[in-house]
Amino acid sequence: MNNLNNLQFDETQSRIRQKALFSNRLLFAVFIIFVVFCLFMARMVFLQWFNHEAYLGLSEGNRISVEPIAPERGKIYDRNGVILVDNQPVYSLSFMRELVYDLDYTLNTIQELLPEIRPETLEQFKKRLLRTPRHRALILPYTLDESEAARFAVNSYRFPGITLNARLKRVYTQNQSAVHLLGYVGRISQQDNLTIDRSRYRGTESIGKTGIEHFYEDKLQGYPGLQRIETNAQGRTIRSLETIPPISGQDLTLTIDIRLQRYLEDLFDDRRGAAVAINPENGEILAFVSSPMFDPNMFVDGISHTNYNALLHNRNKPLINRASRGQYPPGSTTKPFIGLGALEAGFTGMDDTIFDPGYFDFQERRYRNWRRDGHGVTNLQRSIVESVDTYFYKMSLDMGIDSIHDILAPFGFGAQTGIDIPGEATGILPSQQWKMATYGKAWFRGETIISSIGQGFNLTTPLQLAKATSILANRGRIIRPHTLKGQALESPEQIPIKNREHWEYIIDAMIDTVHTPRGTAWGAGRHIKDYKIAGKTGTAQVFSLNDGEYNEEELDKRLHDHALFVGFAPATRPKIAISVVVENAGGGGRVAAPIAIQAMNHYLKELE
Amino acid sequence: MIRSLISPSDSLYVSPKSWLQKLHVDGWLLLGLILLLSTSLLTVYSASGGDLQTTQQHGFRILFALGLMLAVAQVSPSNLALITPWAFLAGLLMLLAVLVFGDMGKGAQRWLDLGIVRFQPSELMKLALPMMVAWLFAYCDFPAPASRFIIGLTIIAITAGLIVIQPDLGTSILIAMSGLFVIFFAGLPWKIIIGALTAIAISMPVAWNFMHAYQKQRVLTFMNPESDPLGSGYHIIQSKIAIGSGGIEGKGFMGSTQAHLEFLPESTTDFIFSVFAEEFGLIGVVILLSLYSFVLIRGLMIAYFAQDNFSRLLAGSFTMTLFIYITVNIGMVSGLLPVVGLPLPLISYGGSSMVTLMISFGILMSIHTHKKMLTD
Repeated sequence: MNNLNNLQFDETQSRIRQKALFSNRLLFAVFIIFVVFCLFMARMVFLQWFNHEAYLGLSEGNRISVEPIAPERGKIYDRNGVILVDNQPVYSLSFMRELVYDLDYTLNTIQELLPEIRPETLEQFKKRLLRTPRHRALILPYTLDESEAARFAVNSYRFPGITLNARLKRVYTQNQSAVHLLGYVGRISQQDNLTIDRSRYRGTESIGKTGIEHFYEDKLQGYPGLQRIETNAQGRTIRSLETIPPISGQDLTLTIDIRLQRYLEDLFDDRRGAAVAINPENGEILAFVSSPMFDPNMFVDGISHTNYNALLHNRNKPLINRASRGQYPPGSTTKPFIGLGALEAGFTGMDDTIFDPGYFDFQERRYRNWRRDGHGVTNLQRSIVESVDTYFYKMSLDMGIDSIHDILAPFGFGAQTGIDIPGEATGILPSQQWKMATYGKAWFRGETIISSIGQGFNLTTPLQLAKATSILANRGRIIRPHTLKGQALESPEQIPIKNREHWEYIIDAMIDTVHTPRGTAWGAGRHIKDYKIAGKTGTAQVFSLNDGEYNEEELDKRLHDHALFVGFAPATRPKIAISVVVENAGGGGRVAAPIAIQAMNHYLKELE
Repeated sequence: MIRSLISPSDSLYVSPKSWLQKLHVDGWLLLGLILLLSTSLLTVYSASGGDLQTTQQHGFRILFALGLMLAVAQVSPSNLALITPWAFLAGLLMLLAVLVFGDMGKGAQRWLDLGIVRFQPSELMKLALPMMVAWLFAYCDFPAPASRFIIGLTIIAITAGLIVIQPDLGTSILIAMSGLFVIFFAGLPWKIIIGALTAIAISMPVAWNFMHAYQKQRVLTFMNPESDPLGSGYHIIQSKIAIGSGGIEGKGFMGSTQAHLEFLPESTTDFIFSVFAEEFGLIGVVILLSLYSFVLIRGLMIAYFAQDNFSRLLAGSFTMTLFIYITVNIGMVSGLLPVVGLPLPLISYGGSSMVTLMISFGILMSIHTHKKMLTD
């Protein structure tokens, strides 16, 4: 009992001490609040009483506002100085409702003066104006040309509260041409706002969204200037007091030849596909085609929902950059590379032959050749010229997938090329380790067989194919594809060469592919007489047919094979290397080779 | 039984219960809030240039927040203490979820998309962290053992850390402050408080030496915004012009030329105090600061009369957090403190922070109207 009393006493003591301490702390808090509020009062008395006159003067004379001046964005030229992306002045009208005397009357007068503006535009604009705070300026979503702007300017005294603004608009002079390379600018979005240095974009409304416009944003965007402007009571500019001029963005000169670009684009004629042409000597991109295309000018002032959805849901997916983001099975275009590697590593010799009955049996499965009746006795050279699959099927089992991987990797397969265009795909170059990491499963030897003709897991971008072809054309000197002049590698690496003859052997096979009647690209190359083109066709299966016969007529168009071609010319001292992919178009020799060969011929004969 | 033994004259208990108490509403606090919120409506109307739509929206949000406050006031502090650890845990998980699944907009992933609403977990933490720290001290003896203080500081550090990496330094510091106030009221010894403040003061010049040149430049711009003529410095100059030109009597309602000619940025949110001071002058400012003082003092009184540790610490922390918000905003717009984008509590337009604030007032009212003991 006594114990309990003690405990209660202790508890009460504890509570009392606690309360006392808490009261102390509360008093301290009150003291802090008092001190801070006194400080604020002192500040307010200082600002509003002692310095009132001075600040009132500043406020009444507050006619001086500081405004940013947007820098001009860098222009973009092709290798010959042809302008690709330009800035042109356009005009717009900005309304401040507070200063507009009679809104309905004003809008009607504007309509009379500028009948080009659609009445719906004005009607919608009026609604937006009424929703916006009276003192905030709104820009009429209509772009005036020079003559309309002049018409408004002489009448501007009739429109208090409306100002004519001039700004520079991005113009893609080639319209849709090279759109996937150049990219486009669009309105600065919330997302953009988080990543950019806002002080650099004061007064600027657009930013590079894709392509070169995005990649070289830092070079293209200049630095804004500023202007102190004296305004009258209505907020109208009277004169400019001080101007710090903006610093314009850098102009860019690209490596592409717009003539070759357009020539190739015309050859595609809106078919789905891509082509990349490179100068193998230094890695300069000469043409970068992704087809079909779209007009980047639509995006500059913000694209309408209707237009954007139309692009987005178009069956041919024009927004996708197929040249660097499209991933295709390389098909037989890998044969020269694997063949070269097999020679260098000693898996086969230049004179080793096999007998091709038209198929290859392995583990109770029959791997067919594209030619059912077979090619007969075949060496490596012939198996490239006529694209004999069985030769590679057989050889691949000796090599194993990891050897094939190690042969193709130095040519840049399965890795980004490092091009200065954002969003490049990596492709897939399979190996045992890759399959384990990706699928958690062991490699099957049957998969090696189909990998040897560029099918199965293998995926490449047209850009990767063009790079690999350039390296082959260079006899092993590695280049980095780039689109901006002067970005070539300073000390390019070299794939180690065991025997130079192996390289010439493979290149000779590629020459025969184009220039001999047995070659798969003979139909496209037969008229080229005065120099040699080295090339290789490819036909990549999109849809694996287990048994049944392949019947082009019956298959859905979208399941047709992709047509591919890689090549370079002239074969001895290459000036151009190219890769062409045409989606679901059928055979590479029939569809892709003519495009590539015509383009290379045009470039060497007319342009270079 | 016990109640009947105590005669009414012995009791501090004021009987009978008024209708306000039955509704669990503290009349004085409600009066202060309604006066402040009415001021807010008027000022938002003027600062938006007479935009009825904005004002109406603001009005609806105020009504919603008041309703929420009343609802929260019905929950007794003991029930509040019961859900505290769970609320805090939920907040912590949501902060982690934001890091993992949050809106991946580069740079700031503060939002969590809950399907119906997008929600900022740091708003929940503004309430849940001080509640959690107060809960730690709710059932312990006095003086509180050192271990409690250590646990409390750890919880604060973890929460603040999770918000800093969102990244949201400003909110993180304010939330940490709300937890530190609880620890302060719980009786953290002065020796330690002074020691910590001294340590911070000493470490600043040391940290300065380790900073890169560009970091130093940023700190300098932060401390002296007027060195950035197009950015925040321009805003502070314009804000001072607005306040100063108001004079003693002000330019009158709707008379803020600074806001209407667009010299003041964010005139309905961060810089609303400048519009108010321009239109209502020194007299208006005195009235506004008095209203704030009234609400703050009432909050501290509620803390003083609270009957258990949890309620007392929570009431003290919520009130002082409100005080910090007021200080940071008025200090910024009058050019005394660096520029931090924080609205003026109870006056600025909209924002989820208004809702959070009103919930904390609901808790204050609940604390004051749910007393169990008759005497103290």
